[in-house]
Amino acid sequence: MRPLIAVLGLVWSLANLAIAYFFVTSACVAKTAAKEGIVAQLSLLLGGVLIAAFAFLLARECVRMFSSSDASGTA
Amino acid sequence: MRIVTWLLVAAGLALTAFGVVTVLGQAGSGAQPWSAELSDNFVFIKALPFVLGLGVAVGLLMARTYGAKVRSDGAIRRWSPGTVFGHAVLTVGFVLALPTGMWQYLGGILDVNLPIPIYLFYRVHYIGAAIVLFAVAAFMSYLWMTGDRSLLIARGQWGRHLLGLAYELPPRIRAPYAKLLRVDLRQPRPPTGQFTFYEKVVEFPSWSILLALITITGLIKAVRYLVPVPGLVLFLASTLHVAAMVGIVIKLLDHLRYTFPRWPLVGAITTTWVNERYARLRHPGWLQAAPGGSAPATRHGGSERSGSAATPVVGGSAT
Repeated sequence: MRPLIAVLGLVWSLANLAIAYFFVTSACVAKTAAKEGIVAQLSLLLGGVLIAAFAFLLARECVRMFSSSDASGTA
Repeated sequence: MRIVTWLLVAAGLALTAFGVVTVLGQAGSGAQPWSAELSDNFVFIKALPFVLGLGVAVGLLMARTYGAKVRSDGAIRRWSPGTVFGHAVLTVGFVLALPTGMWQYLGGILDVNLPIPIYLFYRVHYIGAAIVLFAVAAFMSYLWMTGDRSLLIARGQWGRHLLGLAYELPPRIRAPYAKLLRVDLRQPRPPTGQFTFYEKVVEFPSWSILLALITITGLIKAVRYLVPVPGLVLFLASTLHVAAMVGIVIKLLDHLRYTFPRWPLVGAITTTWVNERYARLRHPGWLQAAPGGSAPATRHGGSERSGSAATPVVGGSAT
């Protein structure tokens, strides 16, 4: 069961990395600046960076699940 | 009492089925002038009181499963079957509502359209939102009936929890965190109880806030065609709804990142049980709180025993 969940987790991470990419790139285009304004741009940038960071952390845990069965003691 | 609960759930199911069929009948009669998208909005809003009512009734039933238990092999019940059911329902709701909501937002930002009509995205989003609202109503009713507050931090316990969280954080984050929140790391590490300090300080509060935010803002957005909503309120609700959605996307990643390495906890939210060895190793405070300092002090021959007042088995409760 663990490998299956790890694969699903990896797929979820990749999907979220794609979302993060769209967030960050949308934050940097002139169309967003004209249509939404600077606050929306900053929100997209912040949201994109955070999603990417947590997606990376999840992907890392999923990769570890293939090799380790130990429960982590830290948050 | 159990029969009354079941009767309430049966009545709730019947009423909800009747209400939804009536609402769908109105929408499909051809007498309404609305577009498919607007029609779905009205179906959602008109069905909502029935869905919420059913959620409250099911919450009463979920509350019947509340209580601490220890199995004959020493496994301890961490979550009640009602909570596991509610968690699963909430997951299904998010699986439907989150990607469709994200597409509605990203499609607008990127200015792209899929060959699938947009009203279908809204339709799935409304179904997912209805399931989430059902689960929220069920959990509210469950928590009200059981009076369970084990995931909340009791008054005067914040210092202990912040200290416990410090020790659960990775070492490189611990010192800056302790300095920022003035946590004295010279104090010994408090034992982890039924729930980790991260679950109590970060997980549960953030999920509660995000769920409340997305529910309230979503409802304001959904009722705008039935009730006049001031433009500013609608703008704020729409903005906060998107912010809550992004917050949930991040929180979901964090939730999975946190629970996957603690595989017995993943098992617990599907089976309700945590094995004794893991509980002793990772949740020593949970067992210490039990009379005699040990959860399975005596084991009965039966498959499981109840943690009622007559036979208290663990200090916590199956939330």
